[in-house]
Amino acid sequence: MLFRYFITFTVVYNLPCNTLSLINLHNQQLNSLRLLYLMATMATTLTSSLSSTNSSTDPLSELQSLRSASDSAAIHLTDSLFRRILSHHPRSFSLLIFFDATQLHNKPELQLQSLKSEFKLVAKSFFENNQGNPDELSKVFFGVIEFGESQATFAKFGVNSLPHIRLVGPTDKDMKSEPVKMDAGDFSRLAESMAEFVESRANVVVGNIVRPPLVSKKQMGFIVLGVLIMLPFLIKRVIAGDTLLHDWKIWMSGAVFVYFFSVSGAMFNIIRKMPMVIPDRNDPNKLVFFYQGSGMQLGAEGFAVGFLYTIVGLFLALMTHVLVRVRNVNAQRLVMIVALFVSFLAVNRVVLLDNWKTGYGIHGYWPSSWN
Amino acid sequence: MVSTLRYAFGNVLCFFILLLIGVLAFSIRLFSVIKYESVIHEFDPYFNYRVTQFLTKNGIYDFWNWFDDRTWYPLGRVIGGTVYPGLTLTAGTLWWILNSLNIPLSVETVCVFTAPVFSAFAAWATYFLTKEVKGTGAGLAAAALLAMVPSYISRSVAGSYDNEAVAIFALIFTFYLYVKTLNTGSLFYATLNAIAYFYMVCSWGGYTFIINLIPMHALLCIVTGRYSSRLYIAYCPLVVLGTLLAALVPVVGFNAVLTSEHFASFLVFIIIHVVALAYYIKGILSPKMFKVAVTFVVSVGLVVCCAVVAVLVALVASSPTKGWSGRSLSLLDPTYASKYIPIIASVSEHQPPTWPSYFMDINVLAFLVPAGIVACFLPLSDASSFVILYIVTSVYFSGVMVRLMLVLAPAACIMSGIALSEAFGVFTRSIILQLPGVSESQQISAGDAGSEPSADVIENVLKTDKDDEPVKERPSRKNKRKEKENMERPSKPSIKSRTEKRLLVLPLETSIIALFLLVLLGAFYVIHCVWAAAEAYSAPSIVLTSHTQDGLHVFDDFREAYAWLSHNTDVDDKVASWWDYGYQTTAMANRTVIVDNNTWNNTHIATVGTAMSSPEKAAWEIFNSLDVKYVLVVFGGLVGYPSDDINKFLWMVRIGGGVFPHIKEPDYLRDGQYRIDSEATPTMLNCLMYKLSYYRFVETDGGKAFDRVRRTEIGKKYIKLTHFEEVFTTHHWMVRIYKLKPPRNRIRSKTKKSKSKSSSSANRDRSVKRKKNPWH
Repeated sequence: MLFRYFITFTVVYNLPCNTLSLINLHNQQLNSLRLLYLMATMATTLTSSLSSTNSSTDPLSELQSLRSASDSAAIHLTDSLFRRILSHHPRSFSLLIFFDATQLHNKPELQLQSLKSEFKLVAKSFFENNQGNPDELSKVFFGVIEFGESQATFAKFGVNSLPHIRLVGPTDKDMKSEPVKMDAGDFSRLAESMAEFVESRANVVVGNIVRPPLVSKKQMGFIVLGVLIMLPFLIKRVIAGDTLLHDWKIWMSGAVFVYFFSVSGAMFNIIRKMPMVIPDRNDPNKLVFFYQGSGMQLGAEGFAVGFLYTIVGLFLALMTHVLVRVRNVNAQRLVMIVALFVSFLAVNRVVLLDNWKTGYGIHGYWPSSWN
Repeated sequence: MVSTLRYAFGNVLCFFILLLIGVLAFSIRLFSVIKYESVIHEFDPYFNYRVTQFLTKNGIYDFWNWFDDRTWYPLGRVIGGTVYPGLTLTAGTLWWILNSLNIPLSVETVCVFTAPVFSAFAAWATYFLTKEVKGTGAGLAAAALLAMVPSYISRSVAGSYDNEAVAIFALIFTFYLYVKTLNTGSLFYATLNAIAYFYMVCSWGGYTFIINLIPMHALLCIVTGRYSSRLYIAYCPLVVLGTLLAALVPVVGFNAVLTSEHFASFLVFIIIHVVALAYYIKGILSPKMFKVAVTFVVSVGLVVCCAVVAVLVALVASSPTKGWSGRSLSLLDPTYASKYIPIIASVSEHQPPTWPSYFMDINVLAFLVPAGIVACFLPLSDASSFVILYIVTSVYFSGVMVRLMLVLAPAACIMSGIALSEAFGVFTRSIILQLPGVSESQQISAGDAGSEPSADVIENVLKTDKDDEPVKERPSRKNKRKEKENMERPSKPSIKSRTEKRLLVLPLETSIIALFLLVLLGAFYVIHCVWAAAEAYSAPSIVLTSHTQDGLHVFDDFREAYAWLSHNTDVDDKVASWWDYGYQTTAMANRTVIVDNNTWNNTHIATVGTAMSSPEKAAWEIFNSLDVKYVLVVFGGLVGYPSDDINKFLWMVRIGGGVFPHIKEPDYLRDGQYRIDSEATPTMLNCLMYKLSYYRFVETDGGKAFDRVRRTEIGKKYIKLTHFEEVFTTHHWMVRIYKLKPPRNRIRSKTKKSKSKSSSSANRDRSVKRKKNPWH
């Protein structure tokens, strides 16, 4: 794809837009989850037959105390707690549930952990913004439920793919169909869009999302103090001319690193949140390191090629600036042969990879009489 | 005597090589004219062409005051105050000069060939800049590389009449004059530098890169203890004169002192004065007194700095975007645009590039740049530290936005030129000094290099001798006063080091292999660049071609459609389309459009996006409220043209939904996937864009309705239009034009009672309808 001029970037058809629920793409994840799901259904049938209607007091006060006990204002739900909540009908509150699975935390494309922390952020913001308004506070509760310990609830909701967020309304009875599912689009913009979803569906005011600042106020104070103390010494050293900044080797390695970082397409990986590698669609045990098609790249792929880009130039610099000063002719010869060989391979590799990835047939224009 | 003759010969050779480089830069960009025809390309160039036509017809004063009512209907656009006039004025002046010399070229021809001419200038400017940094050899190599670097070709082929065509020349030339001033300390060059900067400000919004890079370099020099009066002369006149001149350009105006993009230069301006004062006091006081003074000066300076910084911070904090424009912010925080501004994120050239983009656009230079960076550190001078800063910043920015690859390209060429020149220098020296027949080897290495690298080879063979030429030249300049400073410069290798350098050699046979591989690399670069110029970047995109077994197919649908519009519609009719086609419609069909490629009003674009993603009736109401008579859609499903409106449609939904929340992206996606087949959502199947694109499409292939872009059968084959009627579809169905049906048809069928009253007064009906604007 050759980008030129101000025109709208065309969306690749049939690929998920945004970085939404990539789960649709990666069937193998689904498979692993489905297996667990089967086991889960068996477990539920057992437990549900055993469980008696354990009617107790209104769970509202219990939820309130649980909420104030947790750091993030998101309640850790379990099968038994959830069953107690459901036993009351109709309830006076809605419950927004985030379905989590610890064993899937290592799948970067699902972004479970970041979504979970965003979810907790919404919960906390809601809790703190409505401190003076207990009525509003008791309208919605945020809960996180984990697959490993609460499989029955997963089965009750019929959840077979993650990420998954559901809003259980006050009157919902059938957990499979009634609770509203949060669409992928609703958590694409993270906490802000989740808050919009809650506000529109549960009729509450979440308020501003309060993100914890990168540095707390105390740390900020210490940093400012430290800088102020350091300042006279720094100025003295700058004037004397012997700081790290005066060492050209640091500048040089910094410059080469920035170059490596940029040509490897690392910004692409950051902006598009690309994973390092993705599992092969046909064979789940294999990993795909290189993605075919020039509009996209994987993290590891970018760094590998960025390394190849950089190494050739560094070898050339080594030969022209360092090696010429070496007195030993044989050492020179050996290093040069190695450097030239590696450089040749690197260039060759990149050319082949580029041809494979983009599919461009780059060719010369020779005189027709040569054919 | 022999040596002067050699230098004279070298200079003449250098001149002819430069001439050939200019010819190369010009002619490699002519593929588009040879393969297609002499036309203006793509989208933005059509607007520039239209402005140039206006300028040549009406003169400069009318141009400044031009209010264009053909676009952004009903708002219009003040062209004179919102356009960077550099390119237009350049081409207009060229045309005027040619005409007064009785060379009757059309405005279009001048516009088509402006970019190639300026590419040759850019190559020469690169030569001068690199020569200031590392000598003639590196300069020639860099110029040859720049003449054919694909990234720059992509924006400067004949016909690609856009701001960047002249801006890249202005950018390099401004940098050259800055470095030249830095090396000579001459106020003459400093003044020229400010004027070159003015030309750059006139030409392209990218001038902010200069006004941030040069202060950064000045600051870097100060911090690393390289302050000199030459730096002061290079920097301060540029800021003062440059800012004054920049404020003269209407589109910049007071932004030159009010926006955050320019604040860095003022801050450094203060710092450099404090430092200059410190150096001055150091000069007139004894070391002991100086220590006392330093405490005083530093404390006073700090207080002043703090006060100014506080004022700046207060100013900046008072504006919502912290004084930065969206595009600059997305450079500093790369994830900014994709989160908050879909209009910036949607533009294809604002996407971050992947690694193949680098290989496509700067090719083997990507391998050579690190060697150039290292070479610039050995030894480090003011000039070489500037090019290092240039490459580092530009390579980072290019990583964020693919269009800034264009700014990276000159830096990459300079660095690679330096690397190549140093490497050729070492290898050829090793060969020459270790071979019995010296002149013979010169012949060989000069002969085997083929067309373009041969320039490098010859030059670099010569270069072993005249490596230090610029240094030798400099003391002979009449600036005697500056001589003392020149002596201080660390970059100056003495005669002794030169003789030492001659002894530093590498083994003969490996040097030959290395030289051969380098020449091979250069040859690969030439092949790649010619291929890129001929195949990848020369398509005008207004005429498309495809090669099949039957031979060449030409798709000239765009011009067909625009010609139809200009011949069959009233001159004041309004045409609605997605903003991509706005410039072309005004320039080629001369009809008024609602939105165009100058995306200055997000709400207006969102209104069109909303109309396209609404059902027919709602869309009709929106369009009718905007006085639209015709709707133009681009459809590639029949011939397989991938950048059509259906593929851009999600952006219309996103941008529309950003302003009008009833348009929701998930309504158009089935499980997060964008599809148009039978699985598509009902909202998708009923939206205007879908209907207009696929109306009667089923008749083309006997009931199958197979979309060749999406590679699928469409979801809804038989479409009935109630509020729009098809008036024209081009030969290959790439452009389809619909007319809004007049409102009375609808009213007659619905409300029979009012028929008797209002059927005769359709006009009144329309005015009533018009008042009912859904957007109030």
